[in-house]
Amino acid sequence: MNPQGGGRRADFIGLLARLILGVVLIVAGALKVTSPAVSARAVNAFQILPYDVARYVGYALPVVEIVVGLLLVTGLLTRVSAVVGGLLMAAFLVGIISAWMRGLNIDCGCFGGGGSIDASQTQYLADVLRDMGLTACAAWLVVRPRTAYSLDHRLF
Amino acid sequence: MRPDASKKIAAAAPKKGTNPVIIGAVIAAVVIVAVVVAIVMGTSGKSDGTGASGQPSGAVASDAGGILANSSPAKSNAPTLDLYEDFQCPVCGQFEKAMGPTITTMVAAGEVKLIVHTLSFLDDNLKNDFSKKTANAVACAADAGKFLEYHAAVFAAQPAQEGAGYTDAQIGEFANTAGITGPPLTTWQKCTSSGQHAQYVLDTQTAAEKAGVNSTPTLQLNGKDITKTLTTPESLITQVKLATK
Repeated sequence: MNPQGGGRRADFIGLLARLILGVVLIVAGALKVTSPAVSARAVNAFQILPYDVARYVGYALPVVEIVVGLLLVTGLLTRVSAVVGGLLMAAFLVGIISAWMRGLNIDCGCFGGGGSIDASQTQYLADVLRDMGLTACAAWLVVRPRTAYSLDHRLF
Repeated sequence: MRPDASKKIAAAAPKKGTNPVIIGAVIAAVVIVAVVVAIVMGTSGKSDGTGASGQPSGAVASDAGGILANSSPAKSNAPTLDLYEDFQCPVCGQFEKAMGPTITTMVAAGEVKLIVHTLSFLDDNLKNDFSKKTANAVACAADAGKFLEYHAAVFAAQPAQEGAGYTDAQIGEFANTAGITGPPLTTWQKCTSSGQHAQYVLDTQTAAEKAGVNSTPTLQLNGKDITKTLTTPESLITQVKLATK
């Protein structure tokens, strides 16, 4: 296999990672950004952060998600964006797994909503698997930020 | 020989090597401004949950707040029930159908001290203001000494469709159903239309969140959440009896 062909394929895998992580972040942020109070309560329901800190995180999170998502989709400052996106996913994983371990019955509020739900409605496993997949996308981009069709490539 | 134009071409071409640090700094600045705006917008109009203004009669002076529903003092050995509800919450409506009459009977007999926390978080989920409106109206009914009566009237009229809410006419009708008449009715009307306890309603929600209550209905017996253990009214009566010293 010639090395250039392999590099191009890796560029496209990177593009896919960028688009998956970026689009999910934009959708998640957009669904929450119009209901900041709901987002704040969703964070509070994890019972990890002190009440006031949880509120601020809830207000700020949708904005950060949208910005990082846009950067990833356009491929601007890919490595830095992927680091931030990866840290977000790692934080979400810690929160979800911790809630699961502590036996809380909550909706993660990842895509709006959130708060207590019936035990039968929790979907921790699905949430964890999704966020692990997204963490993998971020990890790929941190290690190899060169991707096809990126603004980084055009600008720098 | 044509003059070498490669230098000119290179100079005219868009510059490669834009400084990523500058772009990064600009984006970081935009994000910081956006986050600050989001936090300021989210925080504005929120109370710190400590305001004492506009408290309805029966308001409990504790961190968790709530309104004492007993119209006459409960027995000295009676345990405390803390009930967290949102008037727009369908499960609360079902809970009231199943448990409401039993709780009301125990309150009337002085067997429990009932503190009701009327939450309003569903307004944010449903994008309306019916929870706050009815919570204010029931606080006004507490001033008239008809808290539980008004509370029951609202739940009895809860719409089948979550989010359909209550019309102003209905909110007025509940006062009649609750038996508020004469001068107290005039006071109630003024209290309701002016949103006299609006701040108290916000404080109640904040206090509940600080206390870690983030779902409705939640029923606590002497501070312990027993919501999930309630299968029948009898199961509640049994637990209350066990908690009576």
